[in-house]
Parts: sequence; structure tokens; C-alpha cells
Amino acid sequence: MTAEELDPLIHAPSRLRIVATLAALSDGDTLSFSRLQELTGLTAGNLITHLRKLDDADYIHSDKSGNGRASLTSFTLTRTGRAALDDYTTALRDLLEQLPRSTT
Amino acid sequence: MSERFDTFSPPPLKPDPRETSAEAAAADEEASLDPRAAAALLDRTKRRAERLLELRPTWLTLSAAVVVLVCYGVLWVSVRDQHPYRGPTGWALGVLYGTLAIWIVVNAVVFRRATSGVGGRAARQRAIIGPGVAVIWICVYIVQGALYHAGASRAIAYGIWPAAGPLIMVGSAAAAYEAGRERAASAGLAVAAVVLGSLACFAGPRAVWGVIAVGLCALLLAATAARLGQRRT
Repeated sequence: MTAEELDPLIHAPSRLRIVATLAALSDGDTLSFSRLQELTGLTAGNLITHLRKLDDADYIHSDKSGNGRASLTSFTLTRTGRAALDDYTTALRDLLEQLPRSTT
Repeated sequence: MSERFDTFSPPPLKPDPRETSAEAAAADEEASLDPRAAAALLDRTKRRAERLLELRPTWLTLSAAVVVLVCYGVLWVSVRDQHPYRGPTGWALGVLYGTLAIWIVVNAVVFRRATSGVGGRAARQRAIIGPGVAVIWICVYIVQGALYHAGASRAIAYGIWPAAGPLIMVGSAAAAYEAGRERAASAGLAVAAVVLGSLACFAGPRAVWGVIAVGLCALLLAATAARLGQRRT
């Protein structure tokens, strides 16, 4: 296992923040864009770009309600996304266990 | 901005100098993320999100233990020397309702902060809990009135029932809810509260307040310790 084998969709600082934040929600809960922005500390544009990538991979699901300025888009981690994060966490743990051996 | 996500937030009044969207995202892709740094970032982000989205933070459970000790303790102090038993005195009820009012406000603030921007099925379920608990609590007083109306002594109508009733009724509802959500630890705590309330009835109208004060406080402290221990592992 090498760092290159880690899921590249999650193994990027901003997307790791997004996925980890959404994973903290209770099952069935969604998070609004503004709260997600507040929790991740990302700028709106940056957040949108990363959300689009995660959405394309079916890692997150977005739901839009209302119209115009009153509209609200909220996000949740899909089963695929949750499974991908679990796999990523396991792979990362394995990689970290190997690290001391490779440095000695 | 993406066409799909153009309504996420109102457009900024001034351009944000940090706002480089696609460029920033590309830079983020290229930023080398060492496995150790990734693990630290993952852990830090998860902990922060859990803390900010936490409905029952540790300090709130700890303060619940203090509130229970104060409320039930004050009622016990007010009745412990009553012969015959008359029921909690006015000043004790004042302390009880004053403390409860502050407690409800603090809980409402924490709940509002934790659920800001949070929606979905689980959030809708939580919105039903508040009114549900309020109705159950009102029913405790309705049963109290019915008991007194049916000729029950003051020891039962103003002692044993109002002390143990809320614990048994609210605890039973909480146990069913937590079991439904497969949260064994919370369901276990609720069941323990019901058992405590039931057994405390044998202590009599005066001691029941003191037994519940100490017992429920100990249960909440044990639950907090268990949660902290679980987090460390």
C-alpha cells in the first residue's frame, strides 16, 4: 500500500474536510451549504468546485428546496461516499502502520 | 460558479481575494498530503464537526447531573422533616422551576446551535421529540391530579408519584426511542433511570427525592465517564 493508492477523490485536503464533516452527521441528516462552508472553512467557490467532484462520483447527494434567493441546497454523504470514506480510513491506517517499518 | 450550485449562497458583495475556486481547487489537488497529515486532518475535522453538531455535549450531561442533584436535593431538604408528609414547600418549588427554566433555555440554545443548517429525516424526528416529551411531562401532572382526586394520600400524590413518575414515564419513552435508533448506551441509561425511579418508590415520600437526586446524578456521571472513555479509545 502506497499513498498513491489512496482514493484520490478523498485524499485532497479540502475534500477530506468535506467528507469527514458530512460523515459526522446522523444517518438521514443533511447539511446546508452555508453550514458546510462554516464547518470546513472553505471559500464558497472552492467548496462548490469540490462538491461538484464528489457529486459526480456519487459520494454526496445534493437536495435543493425553494426558489430564487430563498433556495436552500443541502448535502448528505451517500452510501457510496460513506463506504469510500471507510475504505480510505482503513487504507490510511494500514499505510500508517507500514510507515515506521519503511523509515527504519 | 457552477450552474448547478449557483443558489448555494447569495453572491458576495465584494470579490473575496481568497476566492479562486477552480484554481484553488486545482492547487488543493496538487498539494501533497502526507499520510500522517491526512490522518491528523481527518481526525481533527471529524472531532470538530462532531463537537459542533453534538446535541448533547459532555458538559451538558455533566451539568444535567448537577441540575438533578440541585432540583431533587432541594425538594428532599424541604420535605425530610415533615411529619405528617405535606409535600414540597413553596421556596423549594421556586428553586426547582427557576433551575428548570434556566436549564431549558440552555438546552434550547445548544440545540439551536447544533442543528443550525441541519435538515433531513433524523432532524425531522428530533423536532417531534420536544413536543412529545412536553406532553408526557404534562401527563405526569394529570395522573397526579387523578390520584389525588381518587383519594390517594398526599404522600403518594405529592411525594412518590411526582418524584418517580417523570423518571418512569419520560425514561420509558426515551428508552424506546434510543432502542429504535440502535443506541445501546443511551437506551441502557434510560432503562436504568426507569429502574431507579421504580425502586426509589420503596424509599417512601420523603426519601424518594433524596434517592433519586443521588441515584440519577450518579447515573449521569457514569454515562459521561463512559462516553469520555469511549472517545479516548
